[in-house]
Amino acid sequence: MSVSDRSGQPVIELEDVHVVLGSNLALDIEALEICAGERVFVLGHSGSGKTTLSRLIKGRTRPSTGRVTVLGHDPAAPESRRRHRRRVAMIDQEYHLVPRLSVAENVLHGCLGRVSPWTSLLGWYPAAEHAKAGAILEEVELAGMENRRVETLSGGQRQRTAIARALMQDADVILADEPVSALDPELAEDALELMVECVARRNVTLLVNLHQPDLAARFASRFIGLANGKLVYDGPPSGFTERDAELVYRGKPSEKPTGDSRQDDRLAQDLEAADRRPGLHLVGD
Amino acid sequence: MHRTWKQRIAVRACTWLAISALFVWALRWSEFSLGNLLESGPRFGEFFSRLVPPDWSVTQAVVTSTVETLMIALAGTGIAVLVALPLGFMAASNVSPSWLAQPIKWLLGAMRAVPLIVVAMLFVSAVGLGPFPGMLALAFHSIGMLGKFYAEEFETAEPGILNAVSGTGATWGQTLRYGLFPQSVPQVVAFTVYRLEMNFRDAAVLGLVGAGGVGYYIVLYVRGFQYERVAVLVMVIIAVVTLLDGLTFWVRRKVH
Repeated sequence: MSVSDRSGQPVIELEDVHVVLGSNLALDIEALEICAGERVFVLGHSGSGKTTLSRLIKGRTRPSTGRVTVLGHDPAAPESRRRHRRRVAMIDQEYHLVPRLSVAENVLHGCLGRVSPWTSLLGWYPAAEHAKAGAILEEVELAGMENRRVETLSGGQRQRTAIARALMQDADVILADEPVSALDPELAEDALELMVECVARRNVTLLVNLHQPDLAARFASRFIGLANGKLVYDGPPSGFTERDAELVYRGKPSEKPTGDSRQDDRLAQDLEAADRRPGLHLVGD
Repeated sequence: MHRTWKQRIAVRACTWLAISALFVWALRWSEFSLGNLLESGPRFGEFFSRLVPPDWSVTQAVVTSTVETLMIALAGTGIAVLVALPLGFMAASNVSPSWLAQPIKWLLGAMRAVPLIVVAMLFVSAVGLGPFPGMLALAFHSIGMLGKFYAEEFETAEPGILNAVSGTGATWGQTLRYGLFPQSVPQVVAFTVYRLEMNFRDAAVLGLVGAGGVGYYIVLYVRGFQYERVAVLVMVIIAVVTLLDGLTFWVRRKVH
């Protein structure tokens, strides 16, 4: 699984990108290119810029300077924003499913970008989408759980529902931000394996933020190491040495270093403030 | 801002003193008099003794007009929900731009500020006597109440879920429908049925200004000292309020 596949077309390109959040330089990348079908695992402690990188690709954050191109477009361009969001799916740390709705309803949300914006408001989806959702639920081993409310599910089941919603989107790129951090270690490995298998069947480009290098090495075709917003490693997992790990984690001994927690907190606050800014995410869609 | 314990006690004492002074002032302004209340005891007793035996001959008229009041409340609340939901979305600052949300909030505030009886009188003079102006008045007043509440409820929605739903490429409308609304349903339903219950009680006095329903009989019987009939009136109204109370309790338990 660790054979590097860079024969595809470039899907994600970053040139001279700086992202300043509040008073922090959150990301500073001179050049980065990710090609179709790659399975990239982004390593780094919290606050290293991993989340900022996925937000840039998703179009949720604009670079302060520099250029981001995803699937040939500027991801934050207002005129193509909806189409872009549909093509880049995101599985985040807390999954953010709608707790009161059923598993099937949450998975069907994945097709909102391609069904009629009016009939879907009445809860009506084409039969083909229902069939597709059923097949995906089978694939993520949630068959028979369709009508369960998400709030009654276990952590692992929620995680698989979130994967199913992302797959339902038929996206070209799937971003996963610490997708297994809420799970037990054994569950985490199974969940990652399931996600990577599903993605491999579709030849989708996968970008996963993860803080455990040895777990990432099992599934990645490429590692990217970030420290303080800078690219400190970019290459195959086999070339990721102790020294690289030290660079990424700045000599911190544990697998999940805490970093400068005050700076992390500030960064988290800035991100949260950006999320909560009135009208930011919905107005103008 | 850390205060010493002495300062804290002083602040607390001043606060209680101010509240007590305000309360006493309000009592005096209301011409509160314990002596008067005690002297009136026999008159209350006489009033209650005249309630029995109830004059059941008016039952049919009272029940019919109470049902009319209930229907005024149902129709008024229904119209209010239909208008207040979209206004609530527009007034919710997490999903609407402030140039839209703020004016809508002011509008809802103004609608709430006008007392129901004033609204009812205005509608009576505009569209004539009967249940129709009463229903319009209730709807108008409830839009202000429900719209404000809906907006505040929508504003508590988890932003991560909104981002997740809009992140699938959903439109603004789809995101509200699938990301925002499901999160708020239990509170929205609970407050709406509570509003219905309050609207029934409000609608009972609309008849005072000729806006239909059981209020007409309240004026007629109480002013005419026909206490045997007032008894029937009170019993029927209490029965309906109790039923509505049970209904709201049941609905709140069912929708979670």
